[in-house]
This record gives sequence, structure tokens and C-alpha cells, in this order.
Amino acid sequence: MIDVRHVTKRFGIGAPAVTALGDVSLVIPEGSFFTLLGPSGCGKTTLLRLIAGFELPSEGEIALDGDPIGHLAPHERPVNTVFQNYALFPHMSVARNIGFGLEMLKRPKSEISTTIEEMLDLVQLGAFASRRVDQLSGGQQQRVALARALAPRPKVLLLDEPLSALDLKLRKGMQSELKRLQHETGITFVFVTHDQGEALAMSDQIAVMSAGAVRQVGTPEQIYTKPQSRFVADFIGDTNIVKADLLGYEGDRALIHFGEGETLAVHAASLSLQPGPVHVAMRPETISILDEGAETALLRGSVIDSTYFGAGSQMRLRLDDGTEVIAQVEHPRAPGSRVGLRCDSAMLHVLED
Amino acid sequence: MTDPVGKKPGLFKRVTGSRELRRQPLFTGISWLVLLFLYAPVAVLIVFSFNDNRSVVRWTEFSLRWYTAALDNGDIRRSALISLEVALTATVFATVIATMAALATARGGAFRGRSAAIALINQPLMIPEIVTAIATLSFFSILRQLTGVTGLGWLILAHTVFCIPFAYMPIRARLSDMPATFEEAAADLYAAPWQVFRHVTLPLLMPGVMAGAMLAFVVSLDDVIITLLVAGPGETTLPIYILGQIRRGVTPEVNAVSTILIAVTVAMVALTFLLQRKRK
Repeated sequence: MIDVRHVTKRFGIGAPAVTALGDVSLVIPEGSFFTLLGPSGCGKTTLLRLIAGFELPSEGEIALDGDPIGHLAPHERPVNTVFQNYALFPHMSVARNIGFGLEMLKRPKSEISTTIEEMLDLVQLGAFASRRVDQLSGGQQQRVALARALAPRPKVLLLDEPLSALDLKLRKGMQSELKRLQHETGITFVFVTHDQGEALAMSDQIAVMSAGAVRQVGTPEQIYTKPQSRFVADFIGDTNIVKADLLGYEGDRALIHFGEGETLAVHAASLSLQPGPVHVAMRPETISILDEGAETALLRGSVIDSTYFGAGSQMRLRLDDGTEVIAQVEHPRAPGSRVGLRCDSAMLHVLED
Repeated sequence: MTDPVGKKPGLFKRVTGSRELRRQPLFTGISWLVLLFLYAPVAVLIVFSFNDNRSVVRWTEFSLRWYTAALDNGDIRRSALISLEVALTATVFATVIATMAALATARGGAFRGRSAAIALINQPLMIPEIVTAIATLSFFSILRQLTGVTGLGWLILAHTVFCIPFAYMPIRARLSDMPATFEEAAADLYAAPWQVFRHVTLPLLMPGVMAGAMLAFVVSLDDVIITLLVAGPGETTLPIYILGQIRRGVTPEVNAVSTILIAVTVAMVALTFLLQRKRK
């Protein structure tokens, strides 16, 4: 288990200092596939480098299984990294690259060669042991980097956008490969990515980050269906964010009103929001399209266009307050036509700003 | 044609650039003139080193007699050995110091006075050599008097000092081009700082170190001015010996020795470029 406690990281000194991470606290459970997700510059790589030991925290502490490691040198931490560009040693063979960690740990020769073979099998590169690394393809280099980082059996494996240099097809293959490796080894994987699809597909838990702070931690389903803030809803993608009025609370439900139709009791990210204008997440697949005059309509607008995608159509609509929303429907309406919208209130979700 | 600066660097820009340049009037003529004046003297020197004649202006027939004479000449052999001893020792010291300086300035993080340190290391390249020579001469005279130490060590020390910036440049260039992630990866894989250096930094830096060493060697081997002032009696290097002979007129023997010196220098420089291109 990694325990990140109130970690702040500033680069530079004095006035021009940049705060890359501001008071971040996070618990990464042992044996999990944990993803740090966020746009570039959100601090996710800085957090990874702090766990690896390439940077030291300006404030706060990082503990691994209860032991503080935040101020140890990289070679003193039982943590290994798969680098974005792999950083395989170009002057060593594939086998020597994989064995490097164990060699530095002064393990017996026999153990090193056994582990190298195990690792080559694990990443299916058995025939490449004596190759030079520059004779390998990108995907193969990726697997060598994985094998090299796994060979010393670290407590934690850090992966810094390791799939971003691969083409789409290879990336899909490596996603399931990584999940398999994590499952087989039981090692905690901390995975950094800016690709929300990748994060949702692979992770046990996701921490969504922006501007040096963790915005939400949860399972992919929680992040996808119950985004806490506008930022998370927006970043995870294709959720509509619609304006509504918060009237008050009823138990753990928020009472909201869209300007017409009935008052709805819906889930809220926080029960401490002030009554007044709020933003509500509305998933495209939960929207139904009604005739403009329908009394049950909660919102009204006009159709911009629609795209057929096999299982249905994706309609773009402009609400009367100017907000653009997307709805997945079976039978799209013609562009320009006026419609009413309704949404399953169980799937609505009030966001923090 | 507009210059696509910043969009397509490298090959594309260079090809269009040189084509533009070649269309300029007189381009070819000037190029040939420059090449002529750069290399014709050397060519003449080499040709007459094979001349079977005392004259260095009138060709008679091909012969290796001046090479035989040069190699049989005890003074030439002695001064060549001193040159080699000084150049090799100075190269080793200068390269080690330059490597350490490069590591400190390229990998030591942002320490106070780093820019000043880089400038100070490179400054000797900008100071007129005669100034360095006179300064070294007087400084060493003081030190010699104070310590009472004499010998070739002083000359080696002087050579080491002026070789450092030459060794430093290619080493630092290589180090700056080398992403620090290799060293981070090694540290991540449990290599302590000195192991990182031994197993990763140094092997990857080696082409730069070799290039630096060879530049230092050539610069030391060729040096006249500082050597002339600093060298004590019996410490005549090959260039100084040649200079002494020239005062009595150019002889084919000197041509032969010079040709050997050119061959060694060219070989070293060529090797340097090959090493720099390797693994790039």
C-alpha cells in the first residue's frame, strides 16, 4: 500500500516557483491496478516521479507499507519504473537489460539467469535474449522495459504513459497484456495516462487529477457514472453537462428543477452545495426525445444533426439556453426540428463546480 | 522559395539551402580558391618529402630516402618520443578532468555559478596563446623556484591545462544530447550513483570521451608557442625541433617528418569524427 500524505511539490525557488502538486493525499491499495488520469500538466507524472524517487517532495511524506520512503534515493526504493520512452540501455543486450536490476542487487548469477528466462517467457520474448535493443520493434522494446522493471519483483511498478508511443492496434493488445501481467504477478501497478478510455478499461481504481490536485478517486464505474465535479465529467467525456436550479435537499437527494416540468430528487456529488444554479451530469444514453409540446418534457431544444453508428444514432441538440447536448436514440429526428427532452432521474447527478 | 525554418529542420532545409547557395555568382570559383590555398601547400610539402633531391622546389624523382634519414636521425626520434610522452600524459589528465567538468556542468543540477564555470572552462580557447604562454612561463618560473622541482612534469602540466577545453567540448556535447532517463532507469534499478556512472553513463559517454581525448592529443602534439616558452633544456618536442631546423632552411627531411605528423593528425581527427558519428 502506498500512502501519499499531504504531498506538495514545487519546482524553482521563490516567486517564480511552480507548484506541480498542491497538498495531495492518496491511498493506493496493495495489489491493485491504480491509474493516475489527467490532462498534461496536471501533476500525474510528477506524482509518479515522487514515488519513484526522481523528485523529492517539498512538503509531505510518502509511505510504502507503512515505511516512509519519500526522501530515499531511487535505488533505495523497492519500486521500479517503465519509462515513457522505455529508456532501455542501448549498449546492453535484451537479457542484460532485464537482469540489470538483479545484478545491481548483487543476486547470485544462477538466480539472475533463471529470472531473465522467466521474464522473457512472461513477456513472450524468449527468442530475443541476445538481441541488441535497437534491433527490436517498439512493441518488443515495450515488453523488454516491462520485463526489466518486473525482474527484481518490486513492491510497486510505476508506468509512465508506457503505451503512448505505440500505434492503436498494439496499444489495445498491450492493454490486456498489462492487465494479465498485473494479475499474474500481484504487484501494485501505478499507471499514468491522459487517455480516459485506457484508464477506464484497465484500472481497478482511478484518481482523476487536474492542476496539481486529485479531483476524484474511484472505480472506473464510479468515475464514469458518478463524476463528482464538472471537470471530471467533462474529462471522462461524452457526458452532457446541463444547467439546473438546486432547490434544496430531501434526505440524501438533491431537489432540482430545469425550469419546466416537475421537481426531481437526484443524486448529488455533495450535500453542501448552496441552493441556486448548479450543473447536472446527464449521460447521452439516458435521454429520451419527446415531441416539443409534451408536458413531461424537462428541457426543450432543437436538433443540430445526427450520426448513425449501427446500434443507434447519436443526435446533437441545442437546448434553449444555448447548451449543446448529445443524446443516443434509436430513431433520430430531422435536423432543425424542435423537441422536448426527458431523462431518467435515477441517472442524473448534481456536480460540484 | 521561403525558408521553412523550424518546420522541417535537418535534411530538407540543408538541401534547399545548399542549392540556393550554389546558384550564387562566383560560388564555385571561391570554393576552389579556398580549397587551393588550404591544401596546396600541404600537398606540395608532401610531394617534396618524396623527392630524391636536396631541393624543395625542383622535382627529380621519387624516393623514400628522406624518410629513412628522418627515422635514422636520433634528434628526431628523441623529440618525437618526448612529444608522445607529453601528449599522451596530458591527454589522459585533461580527459579525466574534462569528463568530471562535463558531468558537473551537465548533470550536477543548477548550482550557483554554473554558467560562470562553463565560461571559465572554455575561456582559454579565447585567450591568445602567446599570452597564456608568457603567463605560464612566469608563473612556472616562480613555482619552480619555490619548489625546486624541475623536469618534464611542468611541460605536461602546461599541456594538460590548455587541452582541457578541447576535451571538454565533445564530452559535454555528448552528455547534453544524452537523455538523463538512462541514468534514472539505472538508479531506479538499484544502481548506486557510482554504479550508474560505471555501468550506464560512462559506456554511453565513451564516444564523446574518445573524441575529446583525440582532440586533446592532437592539440598537444601540435603545440609550439606554449611549449617553446615552457619547455626546459632537453625537452624539445617534435614541432620545436622542426622549427629549429626550419631556421636553417627547409629540408626534405623536415618535409618527411611533417608528412608523418600530418598523417598522424589526420588519422586522429578522422577517427574522432567516426567515433562521434557512431551510435548517433
